[in-house]
Amino acid sequence: MSPGNWNRGTRIVALLGIAAVLTSVASAASVSEMVDSNWREQLARFFSMRDASLRFALTGSILLGLSCGLLGSFIVVRRMALVGDALSHAVLPGVAFGFLWGMTKDPVAIFIGAVIAGLMGTTVVSLLTKTTRIKADTALGLVLASFFAVGLCLLTMIQNLPTGNKSGLDKFLFGQAAALGADDIRLMAIVTVCAVSLITLFYKELLATSFDAGFAQVAGIPAEWIHHGLMLVLAAAIVIALQAVGVVLVSAMLITPAAAAYLLTDRMHRMLFLAGGFGVLAGVAGAFFSFVGRGLPTGPLMVIGASTVFTGAYLMGPRHGVVARWWRQRSRAARTERENTLKALYHVWENDGFRDVGVTLADLAQRRRETLDDALGRSRELERHGMASVSRDAVYFTPQGRRRAAEIVRNHRLWELYLTNSANIAPDHVHEDAEKIEHVLGEKTVRELERRLDYATEDPHGKPIPGPRDIHGGLATGANPREGEA
Amino acid sequence: MTVAANGAIPLEIHDLTVAYHKKPVLWGVDLEVPAGQLIGIIGPNGAGKSTLIKACMGLLPIQSGWVKVFGQSLKDAPTRVGYVPQRESVDWDFPVNVMDVVLMGRYGRLGLMRRPGKADREIARECLDRVKLLPYANRQISNLSGGQQQRVFLARALAQQADLYFMDEPFAGVDAATETAIVTVMEELRDQGKTLLVVHHDLPTARSYFDSLLLLNMNVVAFGPTESVFTAEILQKTYGGRLTILSEVASTLAAEEGGNPLRR
Amino acid sequence: MSELIPAFDWQRVMIDPWTINFSLYGWIALMGFLVATACGLVGNYLILRRMALMGDAVSHSVLPGLVIAFLLTSSRGTLPMFLGALAAGITATVLIEAIHRKTRVKQDAAMGIAFSTMFAIGVLLVSLYSEHVDLDADCVLYGEIAFIPLEPMVTWLGVTLGPVSLVRMGVVLLVVVGLILVFYKELLIASFDEALARATGVNPTWVHYALMSVLSVVIVSAFESVGAILVIAMLILPGATASLMTDRLAVMHGIAVVHAALSAWLGIVLGVWLDCSIGAAMVVGGAGIFTLVWIGSLVARWHRESRGGWGDDRGPA
Repeated sequence: MSPGNWNRGTRIVALLGIAAVLTSVASAASVSEMVDSNWREQLARFFSMRDASLRFALTGSILLGLSCGLLGSFIVVRRMALVGDALSHAVLPGVAFGFLWGMTKDPVAIFIGAVIAGLMGTTVVSLLTKTTRIKADTALGLVLASFFAVGLCLLTMIQNLPTGNKSGLDKFLFGQAAALGADDIRLMAIVTVCAVSLITLFYKELLATSFDAGFAQVAGIPAEWIHHGLMLVLAAAIVIALQAVGVVLVSAMLITPAAAAYLLTDRMHRMLFLAGGFGVLAGVAGAFFSFVGRGLPTGPLMVIGASTVFTGAYLMGPRHGVVARWWRQRSRAARTERENTLKALYHVWENDGFRDVGVTLADLAQRRRETLDDALGRSRELERHGMASVSRDAVYFTPQGRRRAAEIVRNHRLWELYLTNSANIAPDHVHEDAEKIEHVLGEKTVRELERRLDYATEDPHGKPIPGPRDIHGGLATGANPREGEA
Repeated sequence: MTVAANGAIPLEIHDLTVAYHKKPVLWGVDLEVPAGQLIGIIGPNGAGKSTLIKACMGLLPIQSGWVKVFGQSLKDAPTRVGYVPQRESVDWDFPVNVMDVVLMGRYGRLGLMRRPGKADREIARECLDRVKLLPYANRQISNLSGGQQQRVFLARALAQQADLYFMDEPFAGVDAATETAIVTVMEELRDQGKTLLVVHHDLPTARSYFDSLLLLNMNVVAFGPTESVFTAEILQKTYGGRLTILSEVASTLAAEEGGNPLRR
Repeated sequence: MSELIPAFDWQRVMIDPWTINFSLYGWIALMGFLVATACGLVGNYLILRRMALMGDAVSHSVLPGLVIAFLLTSSRGTLPMFLGALAAGITATVLIEAIHRKTRVKQDAAMGIAFSTMFAIGVLLVSLYSEHVDLDADCVLYGEIAFIPLEPMVTWLGVTLGPVSLVRMGVVLLVVVGLILVFYKELLIASFDEALARATGVNPTWVHYALMSVLSVVIVSAFESVGAILVIAMLILPGATASLMTDRLAVMHGIAVVHAALSAWLGIVLGVWLDCSIGAAMVVGGAGIFTLVWIGSLVARWHRESRGGWGDDRGPA
């Protein structure tokens, strides 16, 4: 649904969304507590990219945002959010052991240790569910918290060592992108490139096994292997994100950008692109605000950034967004009301034998059993949409409006006839149904109905069913039907 | 295409036992399915009908016995077996459209890392046309009715171009027009010499849809041409006899001495 | 590596905490026991109802509630704490429902998004206002049970009951035990068979909300001792261990209490020996007990099956 095709309603929603985002960004920038006193200087420093640690922080954020977004897409559609959470907590003891290996913050050692710990965690979960009555959610929670506890024990022990205080390991809890060094970036780049390549190469296998693992297996795709491969790459992506996002919150970076993408598209490959993009956006935002904000932990900031994007998609998504849907419902309700007014006008006119050109407001009010004011309001509404014109105390159809009125009445009566004939429903039971259907019958269905009913001319109550001549006849030449109406 | 040139039997099951958490669901199932037949699998709830076809396809672990598809194990013959699972087995909010799903039927033949080509898309389109869903090719699958979803699954299975088809309750919750369309496709497949095993839940229609019936209640109660097995006696034994079978087993067990029947 | 693990001095690790340093470790051990017992008893119901994830969600989402309560009232009083937690819990529930009922995002992802966002906000607030709030970000994760003895003591009718948090935890535990005793049958039925529950006049929805409220209160009270993540272990480990040994709820409760006591003791042992966070050590101890029981159950089963009987397998008839 490209912006060029958006109707007026969607465009207004989009503008509101942009305004909301700008307002919130502005107010965030004004949170003085959060921001260093000379924040303008900080901003300048940021954009000039002179700080090496800043360059690393940004590059790292981009890399992890991309890999977390891509892999998170599969986590979301495979409903593995809890598995991702457990896996990301379970890696902590591995981080500690990785440090202890060389008594230094060696990215490779930490990476290997963490991946091994993560895979051990998933193995334990699998064993637990296979050998005991313990259910999957209990097993995951158990592994999550127990492994994490072991990791915390080790961490607090390490912090007591003389070298421990400078280990930088506490950054692994909540993340600090500024702590990223050249070695870290290299590792992150390798893992991200691997992840992207594997997803591209095995895209169809991943797609098939995510959608319907049973069928994929039968069709010859090695579903088990794909699952294990995904878990391995997932563990790697989690581990490279640890230093910047922290153990506790990295699973949010997997889920939230992908969930935002999930709300905005109906095709998997587009979801992957969007998720990667949102991940990068969240990562960069986190790094930025951390830099500007006196070195606050980047993890929470990235997650809040991702959640903001998600909220935006939730509210503003053109198809599934809550605001857009509410807007559509409102327009639909308004359109139904207009058509009901047209119907009432037509009925009055018909009862009059199609004599007078206009219908008095009084008659309209009486027909709908409403007040004169209501009738005037309705007529004005029709006028706004080019269906009628109001003058003094009468309403006059435009050719447009008259056509639509005849169509609605035709739909109603055709449907009543169809229900009475084909479904054998008593004539006095069909009215409610027809009241609803008349607004939504498409032209193709109407043709089919007319054909099936042998082009009948009367409804079950003896009222004439408007035919094509009644609808289009009398249409003044040169009248242009407006798009989106009728 | 017809059955394998070497005349192998499409499906051979020998002494199959499948358990779920130590409780047997299928017990000592023996079966030889001939080619070119439209076979209905019927039985009461929990009789193991879905379990049977899933075990044949390797989706469930087998306690004992074996299954051969065209004389080979399923692993060696994946392109010969087509599968239409139950609609509930899938999340219909998944971000794919109808064409994406049907194309998945071609994946097994492509090998790893290869993309579907123009020929595959053509085949997918043909299959969609056969189930009368071609105009819906670009529709996201959550925007489909139950009957349309079922037809998407059928088209996907057709795209597999298999010789043996397993279908799990393809008529469940489906409108009359779809039901007729599915039966037509099934009969076409059978006329081409394919073999179809269909888990079915409705007795009256089972009689008219299928050439042969497999009556299942933890083991095979009867298997043969519909008219000869659709008798009151056999139906009673299938549907009314759950407890009967269990008590038969219990007395057999009591006669043996503490042996584990699951270990042969 | 050798400098990491201190020598195991029997006197220092096993004897002293209960003799010389008892005035210190006595309170810590008692607090650990109270926390583990309360969590374990409530956690049994979570496990039975397959709602272990709920514990995860509630423990993450209470943090911002606690921090905001502290900031607003500048105190660590009980009432603001509970109110803050309650407000946070309600917010989390509302968010989760808003996400997974109104969109196609499924419940697991909705929960993850909601509680991780709330947790992130909580951590951010703690980092921003660390001078105003007596919390530091890392302690949010593993608690500071070692500082319990340093709190002001509560005296009642001239008797010194103990540190504030401990007395609070004790009261919570008494309430939990009381509720379980009084509503034992109702809780049992509602957890096993909702239809039967309704038929006998027990409203499963009420039970669910009551359970959630009690869970929130327990988690909040345990927060300062063991932090957000470890409390999940405290909820699940006792019950999981018990479920390997029995299927009767009353026995599960009993085993949970024993497990809690043992974990508390092991926590002191490990904490003193390795000089690590005692809260984490308690969880490690509890996990160790679980692992032993698990291995034991596997060995027992292998032993039974190799002798060729049915064992506890329910075969046909």
